[in-house]
Amino acid sequence: MTESAEPTTTYEQAREELADVVRRLEAGGLTLEESLALWERGEELAKLCQHWLDRARERLAAAAPGDDAGRE
Amino acid sequence: MRTVARKIADWIGRLGEVWVEGQVAQLSRRGGAATVFLTLRDPAADLSVPVTCHRDVAERPGLELTEGARVIVRARPDYYVARGSFSLRATEIRAVGLGELLARIERIRQLLAAEGLFDAVRKRPLPFAPAVVGVITGRDSAAERDVLVTARRRWPAVKFEMFNCAVQGPQAAANVIDGLRRLDADPDVEVIVIARGGGSVEDLLPFSDEGLVRAIAATRTPVVTAVGHETDTTLVDHVADVRAATPTDAAHRIVPEIGEQRRLVDGLRSRARHLLTGRLEQQERWLDSMRTRPVLASPDRLLHGREEDVLALRTRARRTLVHRVEGAERDVEHARARVAALSPAATLERGYAVVQRADGSLVRDPAEVADGELLRVRVAGGRLPVRVDRAADPTPPTQEDA
Repeated sequence: MTESAEPTTTYEQAREELADVVRRLEAGGLTLEESLALWERGEELAKLCQHWLDRARERLAAAAPGDDAGRE
Repeated sequence: MRTVARKIADWIGRLGEVWVEGQVAQLSRRGGAATVFLTLRDPAADLSVPVTCHRDVAERPGLELTEGARVIVRARPDYYVARGSFSLRATEIRAVGLGELLARIERIRQLLAAEGLFDAVRKRPLPFAPAVVGVITGRDSAAERDVLVTARRRWPAVKFEMFNCAVQGPQAAANVIDGLRRLDADPDVEVIVIARGGGSVEDLLPFSDEGLVRAIAATRTPVVTAVGHETDTTLVDHVADVRAATPTDAAHRIVPEIGEQRRLVDGLRSRARHLLTGRLEQQERWLDSMRTRPVLASPDRLLHGREEDVLALRTRARRTLVHRVEGAERDVEHARARVAALSPAATLERGYAVVQRADGSLVRDPAEVADGELLRVRVAGGRLPVRVDRAADPTPPTQEDA
């Protein structure tokens, strides 16, 4: 993720669009230019999803450090 | 002696009728005797008075006169001159036994139930963990200790607003009502407990007082009662929002157990955490599966396939072109051979001739031409104009040359 500002797309939106991109790529029947543009969009969306998931993990880890200590 | 005894008898005889209440300590009823002797003891003070009455008074239907029974007696003080003994001469005895007390309570219960004071819809829920609990108990009573100790052990943060008062005797109901009003008026008090240990039906009588029952029904604050043992039921138990079996039980009802709550919260927390972690991992797996799909993982395949396509098309195009050229060449060759085969030149070369009329049509039958007509003969070497002259030929015309 190159931008530091919060993306406006939610995880669910990004996920849904990514699934759609992959489906269209797999279905084929596109021009080279179209499939390249779709692939680039797919990469972007995958990064966005990853960003959200990474952030979720960070928040989960930060939420209850005492809980983890108690469990050890 | 006589004079003194009579004067005492006169003086006592002038005393009026009284109502007294007491407990039958002794009872002697002899077979045919017209008079029944009993000893009446004061329920509180240590004193007793002999009572006499006619058998009819003692054996009135509905009256169960036994030792230990609580009775109300209408009597006149009497001095028996012959023995010099004092007694109360009873003209009426009424039982205030358990039966009558319970019957009175039952009548009040029915009355209040008919008014709907005990309806389940009136019951208010207790606050989950009240900050301040109002407690009405006897000072330093076991009930007070049970409530305070148990509640503090379960929920150390709980605070109490105490109201100590008489919890038995004639003032008890009024005292409890007073406490109830005061605690109800305190905005900090979130729940009120009325607690009292076990006792006889008479001891618990104030807790079936109609005024107290109505006062509880009128409070804004939820009320928990713990009066007597589990088996004792007083009217306040019916009207209370929660009826606890004992003061200890009341403490259980008003505050949650802190350890239990901690475990509950911990359990919920860890469940939530697991759930969230699980979902996160599921999403991460999904994302991985998307990213490893060939269409995303190796974008060069996009070009790869297409390059092959281009190559294949190019090859096909070339092959097709070569085929075409070769085919065309073969066609030309064939055509040339056929042209050569079909040409009359070779036939002419062998000595044959083609005869044409003036309009160019070929002559196939001698009958087609007239005598003297001009024809053209074509041989390998060239053209030759000729004129038909049948007379010049002696042989008759035949078909053999055709």
